[in-house]
Formats: sequence, structure tokens, C-alpha cells
Amino acid sequence: MSSPTSDAAKQKFQPLHRSWQRILSFLFPSENDRWLTVFRTGLGLQVTLYALFLRNDWHNLFGSGGRGLVGRELGEAISSFDSPFIPKLGWLIAAGRNLNMSEEAVLTVAWVALLSTGCLLLLGLLSRPAAIVAWFVHLCVAESGGLLAYGADNFMTTALFYLMLSPLPDRYSFDHWVTKTKPKKSQALGFWRRVLQVHLCFVYFIGGLAKCLGNGWWDGSNLWRSLIRPPFTLVPPDLLVHFKYVLPLLGISICLLEVSYPVFIWLKRTHWIWLGCILAMHASIGLMMGLYLFALVLIVMNVAAFGVPNTSSTAQARSGDTNQ
Amino acid sequence: MPPASAEYARKGELIASWCLGKEANASNPVRLAIAAYLHAAGIQAGYTFFAPNVPNHHQLNLELFYDGDRVEYESPRVHGRAAALRLDSLLDRLADQRYEPIREVIVKRLAFSVWRKHPDVKKVRATFGSINPPGMNEFEQGQTETFQPMFSFDFSVRGEEQQ
Repeated sequence: MSSPTSDAAKQKFQPLHRSWQRILSFLFPSENDRWLTVFRTGLGLQVTLYALFLRNDWHNLFGSGGRGLVGRELGEAISSFDSPFIPKLGWLIAAGRNLNMSEEAVLTVAWVALLSTGCLLLLGLLSRPAAIVAWFVHLCVAESGGLLAYGADNFMTTALFYLMLSPLPDRYSFDHWVTKTKPKKSQALGFWRRVLQVHLCFVYFIGGLAKCLGNGWWDGSNLWRSLIRPPFTLVPPDLLVHFKYVLPLLGISICLLEVSYPVFIWLKRTHWIWLGCILAMHASIGLMMGLYLFALVLIVMNVAAFGVPNTSSTAQARSGDTNQ
Repeated sequence: MPPASAEYARKGELIASWCLGKEANASNPVRLAIAAYLHAAGIQAGYTFFAPNVPNHHQLNLELFYDGDRVEYESPRVHGRAAALRLDSLLDRLADQRYEPIREVIVKRLAFSVWRKHPDVKKVRATFGSINPPGMNEFEQGQTETFQPMFSFDFSVRGEEQQ
């Protein structure tokens, strides 16, 4: 029997307990692994294309001072100033030197490693080791070439970081077919998807808010400037002039779409509209500005986070249990 | 943003800076560990692409001086479009005041990358500047982009001098 005092204490803490349960069910929803399949294959394609797009410039971009464009030493010095624990190509080259490998040979191995891990992720073969190697090599490259990096690199690092920590392999991977591994815990799958979802909400809210502060997004001039800015000039300016009354509307839409993403992407009625608009925006950025890798990584992240419905009946049943 | 929000924004910045260990000594292990984590997760930078406004494009023009007053004009080059985006990103960084201490080193290296392909060049003048695009109405009136020089360096075989 419980004493009246303990009953009173229980009642007092009940709202707190309920809130805690709500937080837990938000952070650890039951999920199937279809989103992870999309995430893995999408990032596999991303890493493969990343390696292929840079194949002719690889040594030029990441070689040392006397051989490369600017030399990777400067980028490495800047990241070492932040923290000496940040991985960089210099580590791999120093390790290669112990094995009597030249700098060129190590850079080639790094490129082959990226390309191979991209293909392995696409197939789902050795999924987790491939994800770890892809994250590590890409991070080394992004940090050593930090001066030459742009937005796509940050998103790739983030996406590969989450992929590496997610409960791989998924059931559509080669690994699952070969080893017949048991399905992963649905709560762990749900947690990592939730992390990705919340991360994207931060990204769009911050990006949207910053855009709202720029007057050029409200009158369309920023869209004009971004589309005629070399090397993004894929659309002839004469053609853009024909749409001069549409640009302000598009500029305002982009601001509102991004800043309101954290709200409307969660609502059932607006979910698919917001997701469709965001995907269309990234596809347009890719096609009209030639930022293919930037567009692809964000499309992959969005589709994995919000574009794969959780239709597993077991997961739904379990989800119902946890919500009760 | 309304002026009243400036004070809150400053306080928020201080709190974020403290949470990220940036107030600690540069060699503080906690600060170093946090920085390493931020880089490893790709969250060390903000998400303000093309915001609040689209910045100007930047260009590095190299004048190559040969014996006998012959002059050629070049720019640092890469092979693929993906690498061109990166080179462009580097040039945009150079315009940022934060990169002022390493500007000369970077420009010198970019000039050297061109010099390697033209070994008989005696002197290189590197001029860095911003390209101001015309507005849409100006474009319709036939105006084109203008180049606004920001700084230049002269590099010679024996040494270099800054202008």
C-alpha cells in the first residue's frame, strides 16, 4: 500500500513524468529502416560523384605547396589552430611515408578509397566500415582543402557522420542478404532519423532567417545576382529578364519556405507541400546553378528525413504502444 | 532586426561562445575536444549560404611579364567544374577581412601555380578585385559587369614586393 504522502508526491510529479515520456517518445519513435536505405544509397551516390567530379583536379587541389594549387598545408594549419585532433590528409601522408609511399600515391589511395566506399555504400556491402571510411577520408579532404571548401562539404560531413552512427545495415543492403542479420532496433532507427530531421529544421530556420534579413531576397535582386554570378551562369541573363516579375515572388517564397520549414514540415496537411517545394528548390539550384553535389546531398537528407513514410505495420503498432 | 534585439543577440552569442569553449584558453583540452567534434560532425560553420545577400564575385588577374616587354594575361585554372567552384570559393574568402593575414601567401601560391606552366616569365603582377554585376534594369540598358581592384602584388623570380 502506498502512503498518502507518496501518492501526493506522485501526483505532484505526474506532469513532469508525462512530459518526460513525451520527450522520450519524440526522440525514440519506432521506425522501419527504409529511410536508412534511402540515406545509404543516396550518400553512396553522393560520395561516388564527389570522387568522380574531382578526379582530374584531385592532386592539384590537395597536393602540397610546390605541386598543388595553393597547397594543403595552409588549410591544415588553419584547422590545427582550431584543434590538433581534427583529421587531415597530412596524417594519411605521414602514415604513408612510414610505408615508403609518396605523397602522390597516398592521395591516389585516398581518392580510390572514396570512390570505392561510395560504390560499397550504394550496394550496401560492408555498410558500416564503408560509412566510417567514407566519413573519415572525406573529412580529411574537406579539412585539408578547407580554404577551397563550400557548403556541400559541410553537409556531406554531417550526413556521413549520421550515417556512420546509424544502425546499419538496413534490410535492403547486400550485407543483410549475405549475413541475414536481424532487423535493428526500431527505436534506434527512429532516434537517428529524428536527429536528422531536427538538424534539417535548424539548417533551414537559420538559413531562412538570415535570408529574411537581406533586402535583396524581398525584391528578387538576390536571385538575379546569384544566377548571373560566375561560375553559376547556366541560365542566360536575357532569359532571366523575361521573368523579372517572378523573381521577387520566388525570392520571398524561398525566405518563407525556409524559415517556416521547422513548423510546416511536421504538420500532416502541409508536410508533402513543404517537402515538395524544398526538393524543387534544391533541384533548381542544382540544375540552374550547376551546384549538383550541393543539391544532391540536401535532396538525399530531406528525402531520408521526411520523404519516406513509415508504413511498417509492426512499427506503427509499436509506435501506438509507446504513445499510450 | 529591431535594434532592441541587438542586446539579446549579443548575449546569445556570448552564451554560445561559452558553450563551445571559445572563452577557454586555446590549449584547453575541452575547447580542443569540442572543436574537433564540431568539425567531425560538419557543424563548425553556419548555414547562411547566399544570406543575408549574395556577395560579389571575385577574380584574380595575373599579368605575366616576359623578357622584351611581352605581357600575357592569365588566371589560375583547374580542369573540372567542381574544382572551379572550389577555386571560386577560395577567391571569395580572400575578400573577407578575416583572411587578410594570409592573402599574400595564397595569392603568391596561386601565381606560382600559373608560373609553373610559364617558366620563362620574369615577373607576375597579381591583381585581385571584386566584380560588380549590373542590376536587372542596368543589364536591360546594356550595362555590363565592372571590375573593382582591391589589392595587387608583384612577384619576381628573385623576390617579391608588395604594392
